[in-house]
Amino acid sequence: MTVDARRRPGIERALAIVAVVGGALAVVAGSPTRATRGSVDVTELARIVEHEEDHVTAVELATWIRDDKPRLRVLDIRADSEFADFHIPGATRVPLAEIARMPLDSAATYVLYSEGGTHAAQGWFLLRARGVKNVFFLRGGLYEWLEQVMNPRVASTTPQAQRDSIRALTLWFGGKMTVVDSASTTTVPSVLDGALSTPHKSDTRESIKKIRRRAC
Amino acid sequence: MIGGAPFYEFGRFGEGTSLVIAVLLGIAFGWFLEQGGMGNARKLSGQFYLTDLSVLKLMFSAIVTAMLGLFWLSWAGLLDLSRVYVPETFIAPQVVGGLIFGAGFATGGLCPGTSCVAAATGRKDGLALIAGMLAGVFVFGEAFPAIGQFADSTGRGAWTLPQAFGLSYGTVVGGIVAVALGAFAGAEWLERRAERPARPMKVVA
Amino acid sequence: MSDVATTAAGQPLGTAASSRAEVTTTTRVRVRREAAPYASPYVAGVGIGVVLLLAFVLMGRGLGASGAFSSVVAAAVSTAAPSHAAGNEFYSRYLSDGAANPLRDWLVLEIIGVVIGGLASAGLAGRVRWTTERGAGITDRRRLVNAFVGGTAMGVGAKLARGCTSGLGLTGGATLSVGSWLFVIAAFVGAYATAPLLRRAWR
Repeated sequence: MTVDARRRPGIERALAIVAVVGGALAVVAGSPTRATRGSVDVTELARIVEHEEDHVTAVELATWIRDDKPRLRVLDIRADSEFADFHIPGATRVPLAEIARMPLDSAATYVLYSEGGTHAAQGWFLLRARGVKNVFFLRGGLYEWLEQVMNPRVASTTPQAQRDSIRALTLWFGGKMTVVDSASTTTVPSVLDGALSTPHKSDTRESIKKIRRRAC
Repeated sequence: MIGGAPFYEFGRFGEGTSLVIAVLLGIAFGWFLEQGGMGNARKLSGQFYLTDLSVLKLMFSAIVTAMLGLFWLSWAGLLDLSRVYVPETFIAPQVVGGLIFGAGFATGGLCPGTSCVAAATGRKDGLALIAGMLAGVFVFGEAFPAIGQFADSTGRGAWTLPQAFGLSYGTVVGGIVAVALGAFAGAEWLERRAERPARPMKVVA
Repeated sequence: MSDVATTAAGQPLGTAASSRAEVTTTTRVRVRREAAPYASPYVAGVGIGVVLLLAFVLMGRGLGASGAFSSVVAAAVSTAAPSHAAGNEFYSRYLSDGAANPLRDWLVLEIIGVVIGGLASAGLAGRVRWTTERGAGITDRRRLVNAFVGGTAMGVGAKLARGCTSGLGLTGGATLSVGSWLFVIAAFVGAYATAPLLRRAWR
């Protein structure tokens, strides 16, 4: 004989009401993913950018890494394959979409970099809109890192102490410093001066190949 | 994302823990199935004779509950809906498979999950059905070289109802709730009608 | 537990005392613990819905059942005939680096849980019975054959559809998957079409 089922009209009615309310509100809400709103104080941001407090130089970042700055988060906003080829030591790869949604560490210092710096700057803006204050980016991107930290070309007229400190930093990262004869008429071109305004991918690949050859 | 769910997808725990979770969820699943009488083939099959529509009530209640839960947890920012697995659509195999499955369901009186509940509670028919299922999977596996092409045809990926109907997710959710409540009302009516004797009861001497 | 006739008060009849007692022929029999009534299907359904939601929240996936059967069969075939299994596209989907271990399969462990949970619920409610659920219209043997045949059909159907009422119906239903809803509708059509042929089996 089939056993009967208990009926619970009170509970069932309550569940039905919850369902109706939940369903009706869902129709009103429309989408289950709310557009996450960020807010920026435009004046404040403009001031920060003007005072160049939005970015760090590659040398500064390198010093932070070497000195093991607490709670430093270096974020690489490039493709997986590019990251695998070479990335700044200690960096994690985070695509821009993730930047918009990732859990945040309020005590961390975020430094973003991309190949040339544009995406990193956009990521910087996203994080500021999300309320993060300690965020910077590498203005010249990976090119700047390669040029200033991994393969710095230092004029021979640079004071010895400065040359030594650059060499020490470069060596720490497995890079190689080159001293350039200041007799050459042109100054050392730098990506930051716009002299190498659109660095070619081949330049980066060459640098990376050189670094990899050295790392044996 | 405040919530960080689905937790496994965000790397909050590893495979070992996930298997423990599987057992625990299974225990709760089996518990409620049995509580609802789904381990009893005679009660279950009442669905197909419109005398006992517990299957419809139970399944639809479960679907609506989880569906609303997914919507609102996502809306609250606690769950990343894009990381929740949506079963893929393969139109032809799923329609044909559904028809065959339904025929088997009416014949056997239990479905794969409930057959385990039935077997657990001592029902020999549950055990027989489990044996049948294993045989059926084996038959399918052996026949796969022949029917594999059909089985992999008409795929549409993780196609959802909102996409198919061009409606907002929330509208579909609300629509399904409405359909469910209508179905429940219909089920109650059908069961009441089934309780009323169609013929005069035989008097027991 | 005895079959000795006693009075309602428990005194055995046929003794001197009973001649003074009322002439009741109450027989004490073994009282089987009555099976408790099932829960409301709505409440049980909501319970399952919460479990399903928990699966989504914790694992990012829903529940299932038929997949566990596939893992077991694939593992068995691969143990009995490894090269045959490896060459078969269906089985090889369930085998990663050699023989699959069903005990590491999420669904298999879930099903183990289902067995435990079902037994616990029935045990506490007095609903555990070593028996065959069938209508009076057929024999035990016939019922078991039906169950086996039905199971075979469901095995084939579930593999074609890549899921069953749990994996597609519940999980796919809640995630608004088109194919899952199509499957459920087709399953109900197939069931209602077949049921009239088996009316006698359940009466």
